[in-house]
Amino acid sequence: MLSYILKRLAIAIPTLLLLIVISFLLMHSAPGGPFTSERELPPQVLANLNAKYGLDDPLWKQITTYVWGIVTEFDFGPSFVYKDRSVNEIIAQGFPITLTYGLLSFAVAVIVGVSLGVAAAVRHNSALDYAAVGVSIGAQVLPNFVMAPILVLVFTLWLGWLPGGGWQGPEYWIMPVIALSTSFMASIARITRSSMLEVLTSNHIRTARAKGLPERRVILRHALKPAMLPVISYLGPAFVAMITGSVVVDIYFSTGGIGKAFVDSALNRDYAVMMGVTILVGALTIFFNLVVDILYGWIDPKIRY
Amino acid sequence: MKLRTTLASSALALSLAFQAHAADVPEGVNLAEDQTYTFWLLDAIKSMDPQINTDVEGSDVLRNLFEGLYNEDGNGELVPGVALDHEVSEDGKTYTFNLRDDAKWSNGEPVTANDFVYSWRRLADPATASEYAWYMELMQVENAPEIIAGDKSPEELGIRAIDDHTLEVKITTPLPYFPQMLVHGSTFPVLQSVVEEHGDDWTDAGTLVGNGAYTLVEHQLGERVVMEKNDTYWDAENVVMEEIIALTINDVNQALTRYLAGELDRVDIPAGQYPRLKKEYPEQAVSTPYNCSYIYMLNVGDKGPEALKNVNVRKALAYAIDRDIIVDRILQGGQKPSYNWTHWAIADFERPELDWADNMDQAQRVEKAKELLTEAGYGPDNPLDLTLQYNTSEDHKKIAIAASQMLKQIGVNLTLDNYEWKVHTDRMQNQEYDMARYAWCGDYNEASTYLDLLTSYSGHNNGEFYNDAYDKLMKDSKTAEDPQPLYQEAEKILAEEMPIIPIYHYANVDMIAADIEGLPENNVNNTWYGKDLYRVAE
Repeated sequence: MLSYILKRLAIAIPTLLLLIVISFLLMHSAPGGPFTSERELPPQVLANLNAKYGLDDPLWKQITTYVWGIVTEFDFGPSFVYKDRSVNEIIAQGFPITLTYGLLSFAVAVIVGVSLGVAAAVRHNSALDYAAVGVSIGAQVLPNFVMAPILVLVFTLWLGWLPGGGWQGPEYWIMPVIALSTSFMASIARITRSSMLEVLTSNHIRTARAKGLPERRVILRHALKPAMLPVISYLGPAFVAMITGSVVVDIYFSTGGIGKAFVDSALNRDYAVMMGVTILVGALTIFFNLVVDILYGWIDPKIRY
Repeated sequence: MKLRTTLASSALALSLAFQAHAADVPEGVNLAEDQTYTFWLLDAIKSMDPQINTDVEGSDVLRNLFEGLYNEDGNGELVPGVALDHEVSEDGKTYTFNLRDDAKWSNGEPVTANDFVYSWRRLADPATASEYAWYMELMQVENAPEIIAGDKSPEELGIRAIDDHTLEVKITTPLPYFPQMLVHGSTFPVLQSVVEEHGDDWTDAGTLVGNGAYTLVEHQLGERVVMEKNDTYWDAENVVMEEIIALTINDVNQALTRYLAGELDRVDIPAGQYPRLKKEYPEQAVSTPYNCSYIYMLNVGDKGPEALKNVNVRKALAYAIDRDIIVDRILQGGQKPSYNWTHWAIADFERPELDWADNMDQAQRVEKAKELLTEAGYGPDNPLDLTLQYNTSEDHKKIAIAASQMLKQIGVNLTLDNYEWKVHTDRMQNQEYDMARYAWCGDYNEASTYLDLLTSYSGHNNGEFYNDAYDKLMKDSKTAEDPQPLYQEAEKILAEEMPIIPIYHYANVDMIAADIEGLPENNVNNTWYGKDLYRVAE
């Protein structure tokens, strides 16, 4: 197991480097630059700007300077658009916010989703089962950018229970988490349900019941673990989808998180911020997929690395 | 000559007469307990550094943290800021400003003329690499172009401190509107010791030192900006609003919902919703003129299509557009249709009588357009094909679709191309377009801020409209006794040559909380100051 982990981490580095180079080249191939604006800059002013940010160097030099800065000093460079701040500062402010509501959404989606799925599977074909499936389908197709304004309408304007946006305390977390977690919760519930239904018909469960074990033990001790395998496979792509979902949350709930910085930096051609966030997301994705694979191995003894 | 000295002394008289107090609370008005003003930002503030900031939202915040030589009142007239008044030399090229002696920075130090010298040099300095360095050139300050190009050092900029409270500025060409340009944030002073000590971090909340009525308490990028009343401000005892909060909300409809929930005191009204909101909330929905013009720019340069080189084609395109439909059915926000370039509400400007605007109705214009096209050789057997590009926005799309339908009536096939904003701008600046949606916002309240754009020597003339008579008019206007007639002649040339298709003049369409007073109602630049605001008790 350990050697497997080390091997995966070792491959991660060239993967990240490749990610950096490809992103860099793609970004610079788009027309327009950070200083393209309706007030066309006089050539001298533009020259001064490009000199200051090293944008007049050839591309290969820009990439190597950039990677060198990261490797030696963990310095992702200055933002070209938010000139008072460095990329490190922008990420340091935005990432904890996104991490907070991201992890919470994940936890909520998994816990509530799995519980709902198990309950529906155990009470198969009951009213609870139909309700759970119905709600899941509805929640899965409701896009989060529709849900977000509706949440604000209901909870801020009509009921006045929650603030409409911002990030000033725990009550500001509630609606972003609901908006982000709902569709994942629904998917997880349905996957859990069908997986659970399948596991409940298997031989070892029949044996457990025949031995006279209480039903609760059968479910939680013997059925849950194998039923989780498809859910865990789903978590990898879900994580990535949640990152893109966080952009919508940032826009509609003004959290100041990193998701919006991702999109904005592309539209603003803020190369440094874009690279920084790309690397961050890339590293997180690699790491998360590694965690998922290890979990897989832990749950299913048949899988050996 | 005479006019200029008259202007100078009247400026003096005006500023002395207008000892503008910060918040002019009328007698007998009860102030509310809660003096907090919360307003809406579409996007995160890009910079809190006056010489680095480039956008309007940044200026709105910076105007509260810093103060320049002059401010504007609710009607757009100049009132004293750090400068009490000024004198102009006979030739109009030397300005001497008398600064007040009670202006202080938020750390207690006095504001001196040197602070302006430092910040203006900084604006032009290539090392600062400010995107607004060209503003120093626009102000015609001596040696600005050479300093920006790196040929001279910033110390040679035409500004110096005669003493702590006297500032001298030298400009290369006399500009009748020079004082108006001093309201712009790029000219605000900054404290050298703070900037040099903290470098790029000097604008962080807690480190930032400003001379405005408020200090920066909190700045969460993309979330909010919080400013609190600054007790060292020279007029602090007349400042009523205690706290100013700016909330970033990236979606305007969401912002409107939160305004209705009471979380904001001011928000833009999303397009098309003004009529309904005006009916439901008559006191809160307001539409005021705003210093921007919306046009379709025509590429009349070498890379442009052959058809657009024919003035009859250009006129035909302009005549066929029904501006009333666009303004009344699509925008519905109190904007005015435009038949000229300069915004109608610009001070002292009056649009000259134009045949196609004043002496023809839309039906006649469409007829004329068809005639002109036929004259140019286009018709059913030789249809005219053009493309119109616009940047991503629901409104631009709707207007473009309407325009294409209107042009279809006269037999023009218009293809619509939607580009993301940077790509759109890039294409325009490289003349890779036929017709392009464009808007220009004035930098100051005077007609030349628009008209200068279409000169051949302007850096922004993306359509490559080169007209010697127009150039001459604009050059002469800088030294003319009264530039207004020259501006009118220039507009007439634009109507005869039609290098641009004017569509409408902007309006600011807002919801403003009914208990907030002090926001400017007749200021075409919408220059508002927190220090002028107060909240009335119910």
